[in-house]
Amino acid sequence: MIKSSFRSRSKVNIPATVIAVLLATVFILPALWILGGSLRPSGEIFGSISPLSWRTLIPSSVSLDNYISLLSGGFATALANSFVASILAVAVGLALSALASYALAVLSFRGRSAVFAFVVVSFMVPFEAIAIPLSQQFGDWGLTNTVVGLVLPAIGNGLAIFNLRQYFLSLPDSLREAARIDGASEIRILWSIYVPNSGSALTNSGLLIFLGQWTSYLWPLLVINEQDRQVAPVALAKTFGEYSTDFGQNFAGAVMLALVPALLMFAMQRFFGGIAMSSGEK
Amino acid sequence: MTPKKRYKFARVKLTRAGVRNGLDGPAVARPRALFKSFSRERHDLIWATVFLLPAMVAILSTRVWPAVGAISSSLHTGFPGGVREPVFSWFDNYLRLFENPAFIEVIVRTIAFNLVINPLQIAIALVISLVMTRTIPFRGLWRTLVFIPATVPIVGSTIAWGIGLRWDGPVNAIISALGGTPQPFFTSADQALASIILVATWIGVGYWMLFLIAGIEAIPREYYEAAKIDRAGPIRTFFSITVPQLKRPLLFVLVACTVANFVLFVPIQLITNGGPQSSTALLMFDAYRTTFGYGSRNLGAAEVVILASIMLTFVALQFFLLREDREPKGGSK
Repeated sequence: MIKSSFRSRSKVNIPATVIAVLLATVFILPALWILGGSLRPSGEIFGSISPLSWRTLIPSSVSLDNYISLLSGGFATALANSFVASILAVAVGLALSALASYALAVLSFRGRSAVFAFVVVSFMVPFEAIAIPLSQQFGDWGLTNTVVGLVLPAIGNGLAIFNLRQYFLSLPDSLREAARIDGASEIRILWSIYVPNSGSALTNSGLLIFLGQWTSYLWPLLVINEQDRQVAPVALAKTFGEYSTDFGQNFAGAVMLALVPALLMFAMQRFFGGIAMSSGEK
Repeated sequence: MTPKKRYKFARVKLTRAGVRNGLDGPAVARPRALFKSFSRERHDLIWATVFLLPAMVAILSTRVWPAVGAISSSLHTGFPGGVREPVFSWFDNYLRLFENPAFIEVIVRTIAFNLVINPLQIAIALVISLVMTRTIPFRGLWRTLVFIPATVPIVGSTIAWGIGLRWDGPVNAIISALGGTPQPFFTSADQALASIILVATWIGVGYWMLFLIAGIEAIPREYYEAAKIDRAGPIRTFFSITVPQLKRPLLFVLVACTVANFVLFVPIQLITNGGPQSSTALLMFDAYRTTFGYGSRNLGAAEVVILASIMLTFVALQFFLLREDREPKGGSK
């Protein structure tokens, strides 16, 4: 009642609408310019700037040449390296997080809250701040230029643990009790009860780890120095420095980097987002 | 990056409740089943140790150990070439850094940069959030368009702006079309840092906006209706209702923003490389350059420790300034 009367009274706020559209335009134009630039010949990117017209944004003809030439160079390897590292980080990181979250949410032991507080603090410290000293230590440990060295920091993801633990807490205890009576071990309970019932939380934690690894720039820069083992963001940055005339390829690389997580999130939402079994409790 | 991430950050607030939850977790031993509960406690402890071990090793080795290592390394002095072991040298590295006027400039520049960029980003995000919570058609669309830059990996957006702000780039084309003089942006010592601020703001604001919109929408409508009845103007309403009610999300966003900007690295390394004339050499970049460019790992470690200390001071100050006023709220305990 109150809501509907409020609604009928509130009219479209025209000044706010105008400002909102202007703001949205300012923020989206550079992104559109990247997208447009990736689909046209490099020469046209600057050729189309003056005189300023709608042609600055919209290419006269769409071609995938920039993508093709970028991928036929070293960038395809870098993309593959990024994929391998990200998928590895998600697989191992999720396994570790699920185990730790189960201990923090389900098992009761002395010092549990202290361990949990430690996990929370660990993800509040910005990784970049300690990346430089860490890379030196990884060098001492012989982890430079290894996949292990590349993904290890992404695996210990406190936020992923925190997120899973919150979700595990919401699952009814009675499921575990029933399984225990049937003689299931803790690892069995985790694998057959908690994991299958936590699709959405696992997806979220997995995405967190994936994005962390996929977008990381400073860490691969520090820990990988062989070109054919390098990941996509650093490889893209290198092409920006080396052939800074071929902007079309730079734009295509930026679009590919941005598109992968976007598509993944979209796909994940479709496949896993809906799975949330109601508790079998009655 | 995304609405999902926001959801999780919003959940951080639950932490305290979560910890409390953990505290009442352990089963209280009932006299009748004392032995059973004892063995169960042991059972849980053993499994918990096994389950927690891998994750704890990963966190300890990649988060805690480097912090300890950085402090220790900053207290040693190494020799070029690394033939001899570094020797313990107390605070020599710190003294050397602070005796260097160029380093003092880096510190001052970093603090000034953060004093400008953080309030600027938060103010812009707040204004955008206020606009985006009015009654406007296709609200979700405009919000998404502002948020999209935050989803582009920072290397991509940095490259785009590096090209976009060239002398013959589109921004200067717009300036010329409007009758202005083209600007040098990244190639001028006077404008390079401001241009970095522009890029970082374009990237960050949409992300902060998400949290502030959520905060604004959580403010009960009745407050605004009451303000309307009391004939409070929009400015009065903003400062007396919106801002006090937004304190928690504002504090969170301010802290997250500060942390992100203190370790800002990509645009500086990629576009200006600290220049021109060191005008964009911020502490994070300087620590990187000292460690890898000049090969002084102990000096670089000292810079990292200084960076972390300044950042933590800023964050502590923000918590202090935006602390919740403990107003007596009718009989609450």
